[in-house]
Amino acid sequence: MTDIMVRDFASRRASTPWLVPAILLAILAVFALVMVFSIGFGSTPITPDRVISAVLGLGSRTEQVIILKLRMPRALLAMEAGACLALAGLLLQTATRNPLASPSILGIVDGAALGVVVFLFLFSNESNALVVSVNWQPVAAALGALCFALVVGGLTWLDRRGMSRMILYGIAMAALASAMVTIMIIVGPVYRATQALTWLAGSVYAAHWNDVMIVGGILALAVPFLLLLPRDMEQLSMDDQSARASGLAVTPAFIALVTLSVVLTATAVSFVGGVAFVGLLAPHAARLMVGHKAIPLIVASALIGATIVVAADLLGRVAFVPIEVPTGAITAIIGAPYFLWLLIRRSRSHA
Amino acid sequence: MLASLHLGLRLYSPVEVWSALTTEAVDSTALVIKTLRLPRMLMAPVVGAALGIAGLLLQTTTRNPLASPALLGVNAGAAFAVVIAVSLFGVSAIWPLAMIAACGALCTTALVFALSAAAGGAASPLNTLLAGVTLAALLNSGVQIVLITDESTMEQLIFWLSGGFADRDLSLLTVAAPVIALSAGLAVAISRPLDLLLADDASAAALGVPVMQLRLVALGLAAMLAGAAVTTAGPVAFIGLVAPHMARRLGGLSHRVLVPMVGLVGAMLALVADIAARFVIYPSEAPVGAVLAFVGVPVLVFLLLSRKREGLAA
Repeated sequence: MTDIMVRDFASRRASTPWLVPAILLAILAVFALVMVFSIGFGSTPITPDRVISAVLGLGSRTEQVIILKLRMPRALLAMEAGACLALAGLLLQTATRNPLASPSILGIVDGAALGVVVFLFLFSNESNALVVSVNWQPVAAALGALCFALVVGGLTWLDRRGMSRMILYGIAMAALASAMVTIMIIVGPVYRATQALTWLAGSVYAAHWNDVMIVGGILALAVPFLLLLPRDMEQLSMDDQSARASGLAVTPAFIALVTLSVVLTATAVSFVGGVAFVGLLAPHAARLMVGHKAIPLIVASALIGATIVVAADLLGRVAFVPIEVPTGAITAIIGAPYFLWLLIRRSRSHA
Repeated sequence: MLASLHLGLRLYSPVEVWSALTTEAVDSTALVIKTLRLPRMLMAPVVGAALGIAGLLLQTTTRNPLASPALLGVNAGAAFAVVIAVSLFGVSAIWPLAMIAACGALCTTALVFALSAAAGGAASPLNTLLAGVTLAALLNSGVQIVLITDESTMEQLIFWLSGGFADRDLSLLTVAAPVIALSAGLAVAISRPLDLLLADDASAAALGVPVMQLRLVALGLAAMLAGAAVTTAGPVAFIGLVAPHMARRLGGLSHRVLVPMVGLVGAMLALVADIAARFVIYPSEAPVGAVLAFVGVPVLVFLLLSRKREGLAA
């Protein structure tokens, strides 16, 4: 049914060239709305119009402090993490040609988590302070993610029964990584355990402008690569042979897509923890809305991913006041049923 | 089993253990052995056996070598049901909790198979596994949210949820053991038709096996066993996956031998893992589930890679 909708849409899109930009604008508008509400909500509620005026440098002094110092970094970090995860998912799904692939299912998120926990364990001293710069944390996450991605990829290659098996190895390795995380948490002193646990639940609580800068920087670095990819992506979405025939070096393209995906996942995870299912959900939603053309797909995925995480963070704060529910739990509750629906749909269309 | 009494943060000599068990002495040695070591020694094998048999039943009925209580989300279902019962309805008695855990396990089993049937047949291990893992993720988020919104429950449950045999209430066993024994007995009783089910459905039916009914009974038993195990020791993963495969190597394919064998293997695994858990990060203790993952994941990967049972491994 999904396929039919997309095909339907494709024909309509051809006859109305303004439709895709219009949809992108609509997504952008929804995203902006969610951002404004997210920044406005809190112990001191601030109405949307005053949020906008404070961001523009007008409005009262207190409101400016609350918004610029406390709430903006949080919302921006959530936005960036969502975009990272969504793009990572899009790249993985393209590279593996498997619509069920996503960073969390392939064990990359747990690998990154292990990297961060090992990092906290090795480089913090008795008084709970890091002995090296916190900027190394994403590097550790990327290393962990890369190791597990390599193992999962290696096992899939050994198996030689196609990309769909990758998910099985991902699940197995994710279980191993999370067991190792548990043991590391118990081995370490209590303060490290609390630090790691809070972070693992997946939350953008206590975000700083510094974090926003780093994630934003990495995201910005990824953009030129992403812009080089569209041609590859469109070719890769064909089968291996036609892709080769159209002059694409399949293996290097595959490695490039997966590596970029791992780096983006690691970046997001090292700052906001294990936020699941966004990497799966966002590219699918984007495909439904703007079709299969690379550039609109990349933009829409990133925007939808950002919207999902910001909305999940907002929902986590609103739903059970005064308690905050971790963003990761909310995205799982939205994402898991969607994944199941997808599983059923996909098998039906295959049958 | 004896080793379980002796080994630990402090090693006790056989003499010390014996005197602690036989006399009325109330020194610290006796206290540690009677209140801490003895319960775990008794609990680990019972839970291990239950999980092993549950895994075997799931694997046979679905002809899926990857089926196991943890991977199919059955453990998570039981855990979610217990957390809801404790937090929302304030249930604290053991009997109702055991029943609720079994119901949770049963509902999740049913849901996973309904989902994978909708996704193109329960015979596809990949779909079943994906549905199970996803449902487990969903239920775990549910557990997380309940725990965060209700701090009193959190204190009560966080330890139980970590899965393991340390510091469990021995009275849990008085409830779980009869349930487990009964279900295990029934599993032996249906061993002959289970053997026949290993062929395809059509030939099993031709030999007079009521395929659907048998499947429902076996899945129900598996859910009871997993539910009882989870109530006692929290969600312990991987025994249900690994034990059946080890038992098959040891005891062939007949379920009459296989069911007791898998019980024994599961019991051994649980005991060894429980003892290992006290030592891997000495002097603190690792959760049994984490220790088992180090055995379970390589076995899982091996199963996925091995091509001998192409038909079974999808």
